[in-house]
Amino acid sequence: MKLRFAGLWLVLIVCQSQASDRWVFDDRTAVTGAAQDRVYHHLDGSGRKHIAVTRQSVAAVWEDNRSQTPQIYVALKSFSSDRFTAPLQVSNGSEAYEPSIAALSDNRFALAFEQDASVFARILTAEGLGAPTRLSQHAASHVSITSLNDQVFASWRERDSGRWFLKVAALRVEGTNRFIVESVQSVEPEGQETALLFPAIAVNAAGLCVAWEDRRAGHTRLLVSHNADMSKPFNAPQSLNEFFSNRNEYDMGNGVTRVSLASFGEDEILAAWMDKRRGGNGYGIFAALGADAGENFGPNEKVHGEQGDRQPHYNPATAGNQAGDFVVAWDDFRRADSDIWISAYNADLEWSQDHAPSVASGRGEQSHPSIALDEQGNLHLLWIERSQQDGPSRLWYSPGRPRKP
Amino acid sequence: MLQSSFFQLPLACVVLLISSVGTLLAAPPEGYRFLSLTEATQLASSENKPMLLYFGRYGCSTCRKMHAEVFNDASLNVKFNDAFVLAYVDTESGDRISLANGERITEMQFASRSRIIGTPTFIFFSPEQKPLFKKAGFQTIAQMNQYGDYILEKHYQSMPLQEFMAGQ
Repeated sequence: MKLRFAGLWLVLIVCQSQASDRWVFDDRTAVTGAAQDRVYHHLDGSGRKHIAVTRQSVAAVWEDNRSQTPQIYVALKSFSSDRFTAPLQVSNGSEAYEPSIAALSDNRFALAFEQDASVFARILTAEGLGAPTRLSQHAASHVSITSLNDQVFASWRERDSGRWFLKVAALRVEGTNRFIVESVQSVEPEGQETALLFPAIAVNAAGLCVAWEDRRAGHTRLLVSHNADMSKPFNAPQSLNEFFSNRNEYDMGNGVTRVSLASFGEDEILAAWMDKRRGGNGYGIFAALGADAGENFGPNEKVHGEQGDRQPHYNPATAGNQAGDFVVAWDDFRRADSDIWISAYNADLEWSQDHAPSVASGRGEQSHPSIALDEQGNLHLLWIERSQQDGPSRLWYSPGRPRKP
Repeated sequence: MLQSSFFQLPLACVVLLISSVGTLLAAPPEGYRFLSLTEATQLASSENKPMLLYFGRYGCSTCRKMHAEVFNDASLNVKFNDAFVLAYVDTESGDRISLANGERITEMQFASRSRIIGTPTFIFFSPEQKPLFKKAGFQTIAQMNQYGDYILEKHYQSMPLQEFMAGQ
């Protein structure tokens, strides 16, 4: 009798798993060469935007220390090719970190990165890299970049005279491969005494949305601001996370960190982040959907499924497309080693069961996903693999095709 | 599992902490000489002192409670300030740590890789810079004193912490 029930339970679990398995992933493709001793690849930064797709190709951008110092590299793969190009070095300073990428027309890509405490942007074409354009004027970091019909916007944090500012630049493409800074404004012109961290940015037809970690309340909250017209100021910041426990005199709210934004549909925004509202279980992945380019966000929603309720989750990445698809990826070690997990809305408009693509799970450590959705609904997945936590690393890519009904 | 995962990470090989754009340390307790992990590791090695590594979070309620109700104790202050080297890591910080193997990661990535799930979490190191034990969550003044005595009186060389605590 017990065995019969066990069998039924297994069937139910399998059915649930298949229901959430919305994409069928191709075999993985190496973005970088075989793991080398003492070479470490990182996919980290504001919004986790390290992969982008045009109609012709996919591009991946990352930081590694192959040259002894941390530098930024990018590699391209034409959809007609079965391999990535050799990496191009994007940065040229003493050290560089936390790159971001967005797609442009004509098979070009916009790149942004931190280098020697400044932030830069440059354009990648099939012919190579355009000249870098410095975006910041003072010590700066945590840059992210986004685009819509070749309108390009970058956000970053900057510190001036002891105050923290969130800056947003509108960039114009000059010729084929050079950025011109058209305007820069602070989300809040007066700045803050307390730190502002990891601003993420997204754009669609209704305007710009910026979300960040903010410490002005004495603990970290996620704030979000919208702008429909870059010639005008940003809206006053609003809270994105909505759970504040206030259990006792010391409790001002739970931890929240590393928000990622993606535009989807005509004018909607997906925000996802790490959120400690579950107390001793560590970070959960929570999300909110915003209308009108983030001017109005709906309620917070738990992304990961019940099977992940007692584990901590890390490194959420978001993707969306104009067709209206949206998805969240993250990593966690619920199965001892870290795996990549994915969730998207199911037919009931609820977050699906967690799905671990077989190409990015199993033996070894698969972590730090970055994702992009193309207009056909293909999910492009980039991640880091290590045989062990502090061992040398390698980057992998796999496209997920929408499962046919 | 968490404990063993932590000890897989060569914490003691952390040799250099470089601040990116001068982010401030996020609120270790006042009156204690908490240092960056780099400074603390170097100092502990050079002076052959035990180290207390404190993983905190900006605004963490249990951290604040410990600051107000535990770290305010005068005897604890003397014991840990004098006999230990103190290091603080903000588990949501973007500041970068360089490991001896050449890898540089943010404090947050370091904390997640160390499987630090909640704050506060304390890691106690011997004077030889070997991680001895990890304690997560609220700790009382008495417990913190006992942890200190266990290391300073070198009981760790002859018995597990649990046995020492049971005998107190």
